Amino acid sequence: MKKRSWQRALLTVASLGLALTLAACGNSSGDSKAKSDEPVKISFWNGMNGPYQKALKKIINDFNSSQSKYKVVSTAQGDYTALQQKIMAAAKSNSLPVISQTTYTTVPDYSKNNLIEPLDNYMLKGSNKLSSADLKDIYPSFLSSSKYQGKYYSVPFSKSVRVLYYNQDILDKYNLKKPTTWEDIAKDGEVLKAHGIYGMGFDKSWDMEFEGLARQAGNPLITKAPKANLDAAPTLEAANFIMDMIKNKTAKTAGEDFYWTQAFTQGKSAFYAGSSAGVTQMVAQAPKSLHWGTMPLPSYNGKKATEIAGNDIVMFKSASAEQKKGAWAFMKYLMSAKETAKWAKSTGYVPLRKSATETTDFKKYLTDNPYNKAAVDSLDDGFQSNAFLGFSEYRTKLLETVDAMLTKNEPVKKALTSLQTTTEKIIKDNK
Amino acid sequence: MLNEKPTLKSTGKALLYLLPMLIITITFNIYPILKSFIMSFYTKYDFFRDIVSQYGFDNFKFLFSDPDFHIAVKNTLIFVIGVVPLTVIISLAIALLLNRITWLSGLFRTVYFLPFVTSTVAIAQVWHWIYNGDYGLLNYFLSFFGVNAISWLESPHYAMLALIIMSVWKNLGFNIVLFLVGLNNINERYYQAAKIDGANTWHQFTNVTVPLLSPITFLVSVNGVIGSFKVFDEIFALFNGTPGPSKSALTIVYYLYQKFYTEWKYGIAAASGVVLFFMILLVTVFQLWYSKRHVHY
Repeated sequence: MKKRSWQRALLTVASLGLALTLAACGNSSGDSKAKSDEPVKISFWNGMNGPYQKALKKIINDFNSSQSKYKVVSTAQGDYTALQQKIMAAAKSNSLPVISQTTYTTVPDYSKNNLIEPLDNYMLKGSNKLSSADLKDIYPSFLSSSKYQGKYYSVPFSKSVRVLYYNQDILDKYNLKKPTTWEDIAKDGEVLKAHGIYGMGFDKSWDMEFEGLARQAGNPLITKAPKANLDAAPTLEAANFIMDMIKNKTAKTAGEDFYWTQAFTQGKSAFYAGSSAGVTQMVAQAPKSLHWGTMPLPSYNGKKATEIAGNDIVMFKSASAEQKKGAWAFMKYLMSAKETAKWAKSTGYVPLRKSATETTDFKKYLTDNPYNKAAVDSLDDGFQSNAFLGFSEYRTKLLETVDAMLTKNEPVKKALTSLQTTTEKIIKDNK
Repeated sequence: MLNEKPTLKSTGKALLYLLPMLIITITFNIYPILKSFIMSFYTKYDFFRDIVSQYGFDNFKFLFSDPDFHIAVKNTLIFVIGVVPLTVIISLAIALLLNRITWLSGLFRTVYFLPFVTSTVAIAQVWHWIYNGDYGLLNYFLSFFGVNAISWLESPHYAMLALIIMSVWKNLGFNIVLFLVGLNNINERYYQAAKIDGANTWHQFTNVTVPLLSPITFLVSVNGVIGSFKVFDEIFALFNGTPGPSKSALTIVYYLYQKFYTEWKYGIAAASGVVLFFMILLVTVFQLWYSKRHVHY
């Protein structure tokens, strides 16, 4: 009797499994046909979580109800790392979505493997293109990072910049002013050192501040060509400037905490160079009694620069022509002044267009949320690292190099010279 | 049933029973193993379109000359040597103690087993706090003995030790349960006989418990060796997705992960997996050979 019921249970499970598989197959074949009266489905993978996911859902719903031809269906794939891995697996098994969030630095590799569609045909040509006024309105650093080998492959989406957090209480107590140059920060550090406070706090790695300083000193770490400048004089100067502060104990990295946020809220440093996307976390974590603010990063060598980080959206080749058209309509919608302002307001990411920042509504938002103003003010000085084939490998090596200087006390010159050799090899191998 | 002669029908029937497990094993274990063996010889490979334009031994040559891979092999060996013996000794000791007590033994068994059923990421998160250089519990505890604050997760000298301590702790639960089963299977009469012969507790332990527990000890150590060679998630979670300060916790599987997912060097990743496979095979074969002589069933 007992045996029989087991067999029956097994049989039920097996037939259920079979039925589900069949149903799934039936579904997917039905989808690709897409009857004419049904909206075209645009699958959209993203790496947004929590409040960001909620904000994104709202914008997608707005898009879906604004027209009846297309329906965007978003799928959260975990964090950015998980998203990249899923894209890789999907590309291998021919199950890519229509569009996906990704860092623009993967564009060279994706385009080499023929996975993504250049956007020129939608963006610059055709009935739904961006007008020249639109193109002028979008911040140039976003557009330039969307371009690879003369073609647009991605549109900017969730973007943040590096800003300077300052602790007003510490500045008041020790009679210091908000810094206008990086040298000011180093000097303030000397004053504060006697009181057991660091001048500057960095995240676990200072590679973004480093690239900013190197650009201000004279060159990007990697040029568009691409050519590596990792042992060039301005690069060494930038790295030495940061490492001197750290060795002098006027600056510190977050190390095991990863972000300096926690240490900043505890008053361990007067300044913190961090992501503008971290404002939300800082507001949540900082005690009410702490007076703090944000400002654009100070200048160095008479110039200003701040690295933009974040993700773009790409379109995959495997989608149908109709899906691609719809995907572009959605991308354009996301970049519209109204939507990008809405997105910025609900997430703390920066708006993508100048005009979006000039509306009275957005100005009021910035007055109400002063912490988010520094990021918007920084946008004109924003830059993004140049993407090239093998970027992901290069970035791993760059982070390893910073780590070696910090945890193994490897001399700056030695570490960067070896990074130069490695990077030259990466560039050469990928040619 | 047992005396039935093998016929075509009975073999077919047996195969039918084995089929579900076979399908799963072949699809998810055997096929990937074979595929990665083949993939390790791909030197020019279009991953997405699955076109191989060149085969060769270059991937292995690369591994043998890559200083990072050498670090990975060294760290993996240190990890295995650090974790396995400690796990065996400590879990045996705890199992012996648990076997002695009757009061609350169920509670203690549950407590020790908990780490096994908790997700590695959650465990690593907690240990991340314990190890914190500024306000971690471990440094607080050590400060009573006059030990200065140690930067467990940020110093290349201590990172591996921190990883080993956490892994030993995490492995204990399951092994304790195995040892308890082993201890319960030893017939009480052996101890009674030993007592009559005048053996004290220590002699009973070395002459009765250890030899009769050897099958379990063997199982625990083989399991531990294989598991430790494959360590990855503990590192990823404990060091925030990095292989530790100055690569001090870079192991072979971490190396494989980096080559595959961040550097997109599929052939090299597969080759490092093959090297790992043979390392594990070698050690396991040695353990089997050793067990033939020293394990009493």
